[in-house]
Amino acid sequence: MNMMARSASGSQPVSLEQISKRFGDFYAVRDLSLDVAAGEFVTLLGPSGCGKSTTLKIIAGLLPQDGGEIRFGARRVDMLPSNKRNVGLVFQNYALFPHMTVNDNIAFGLRMRGWPRADRAARVNELLSLVRLEGLGERKPSQLSGGQQQRVAVARALAFGPDLVLLDEPLSNLDAKLRDEVRLDLRDIQRRARQTTIFVTHDQVEALVMSDRIVLMNHGIIEQVASPRDLYAIPATEFAARFVGANNLIPGTLISGGPTPSAAAVGLDAPIAADTIAPGIATQDQPLWICIRPEQLGMAKVEQSSDRCSLVARVIDMVFQGTSILVDIEQQGIGRLRSERPPEEVGSLRPGDEVGLKILGCHLVPRKTSDSQADASRMANAA
Amino acid sequence: MTDMTVRMAVPAIGSRVRISGPRLLSAGLWTVYLLVIGAWLLFPILLVVVASLQGKLEVSWPLSHLNLDAYRAIPSGYWQSFWFTIRVSIVASCCSLLISLPAAWAMVRGRLWERRLISSLVLLPEIVPQLILGIALLTIFIPLGLSNSFGGVVLALIALNLAMGLRFGEALLEGLPEEYELAAESLGASKLAALRLIVLPLIAPGLAIAALFVFMQNLIAFVLLFFIAGPSATPISIRLFTDIVDRGVVPEAVAMSAMLVYVALIFYAIVALALGPKYMAGALMSRKG
Repeated sequence: MNMMARSASGSQPVSLEQISKRFGDFYAVRDLSLDVAAGEFVTLLGPSGCGKSTTLKIIAGLLPQDGGEIRFGARRVDMLPSNKRNVGLVFQNYALFPHMTVNDNIAFGLRMRGWPRADRAARVNELLSLVRLEGLGERKPSQLSGGQQQRVAVARALAFGPDLVLLDEPLSNLDAKLRDEVRLDLRDIQRRARQTTIFVTHDQVEALVMSDRIVLMNHGIIEQVASPRDLYAIPATEFAARFVGANNLIPGTLISGGPTPSAAAVGLDAPIAADTIAPGIATQDQPLWICIRPEQLGMAKVEQSSDRCSLVARVIDMVFQGTSILVDIEQQGIGRLRSERPPEEVGSLRPGDEVGLKILGCHLVPRKTSDSQADASRMANAA
Repeated sequence: MTDMTVRMAVPAIGSRVRISGPRLLSAGLWTVYLLVIGAWLLFPILLVVVASLQGKLEVSWPLSHLNLDAYRAIPSGYWQSFWFTIRVSIVASCCSLLISLPAAWAMVRGRLWERRLISSLVLLPEIVPQLILGIALLTIFIPLGLSNSFGGVVLALIALNLAMGLRFGEALLEGLPEEYELAAESLGASKLAALRLIVLPLIAPGLAIAALFVFMQNLIAFVLLFFIAGPSATPISIRLFTDIVDRGVVPEAVAMSAMLVYVALIFYAIVALALGPKYMAGALMSRKG
């Protein structure tokens, strides 16, 4: 009975408030606030040096923060040492104890919490079946494959019912094929355990595939918090639009907002109609980026093209990718663009062909004013 | 199909076995070189062992009249000194490792900015002649009543060994990724528990080798102990030296020297058996072995 109560997930909501960490004059993390719901899978995504790993270390208690509060549920933990926080941590290289068996590795957290031997064994078996490693408990970590080691590391972090599990780029040591498999596995394990999880990665595909919500970080601050779908479809900032997925960014200015927004692209006469618009764009002539995903850039040979904002461009290069073809095109006013379309649409094109572009979707994000002046001068030159 | 594989396989094997003239010459030179080095290193040991069994210093050929008379003739004073040395060496080795390991941990994991400085300072006792260390310790020990005592000899040996223990400890901990400790702590282990359950077992093989080296150094320490030792605390090295100066190389002294060789071999064998052969050959500091 006792064991049943213990083996229930200890998942807690997690709240970070105004976390800061400075190294000399350099802010690794600046006033970071974030709320994670119980059982939620949140990813900290960003390029190296964006502060995501620092944030993870601060949450785990491996690095003291300069300011801010951390709460797991109602419990404030930011003053506690790492071993009192009840956090399950999965390291990039797993850090499985090489001198212990898989069983002993998984049971380590339980042993530290004084569980009786029989309860430990039962809980270890429960976890071995959760991560589908039944029968491998007596092996040493060195006798397991990379993917199996990774699952042991996850089981070890889940075993003691932590308030929160932290994953520090746990997939980066796996080869590409295994990585695809393991990230779905990991997601599945997390869901079945209903475990509050914070995942750190620089890989946007991992983030999109696995997360309930993504926290996009850059220069120690949060750029955007959104569901994978929203982050991809309606990024809030230029950084988000560039970092997540491939994107064509065309400088322009706002013509009109409202329900049917449209923008003028630098170097183009005709306005471009936008489907969505990031917050913070309201005033007319405000500088912005017109974001068109490669898959949103349709094309047809010039004699067939007709409707919506028809633009003429020339095919520069084509790369066959199996399910799609990458087409690099040059448009006189805008410059180079990239499209990714199914083979049945663009398979008959050849480099040098004239094509009519069809913009199938378009999103607007704000553009910083420092380079808006440069664009203004470019615009004047073009005119 | 089978025919072809056989025909292909035969020349491949033949070419690997065949050794050309120059290669044979270089292999021969290597063998001679290794034999000379081996003889050079082993000669004194063999000489002492054979001489002890023949009861005189001039080894005679053929090896006849081997007996244990010289061992039986070892006076009780020698045995006293012998056991004194063993006790002192064990106590001093344990103490210096117990002291130097936490220090090494603090230096490696603590990220002290002064680390390079401390690390070099610790080397100093190794560079400074033992003569100077001996005189310095004596001036401190005499007013404290520590000279000519078990404790004094132990303290002197610890002073001698700390640098070596620290070097070993630093190398062992540097070779152990910090993630293991951090993982243990995140799983709820205190620093002490992480040290006991994770760090110590993982560096144990290296630690055993470090202990072996420190013990050997203690067993044969001479110059420093020449200052500290006295009639009531006489290590075997000092006892043998004074006796040989007084009476020449007597068979008992040769036999006692051979005893030291046996002690060294026994300790080496114990460590080697405990660790397995892979740790003893070359991989002295490696945690993987």
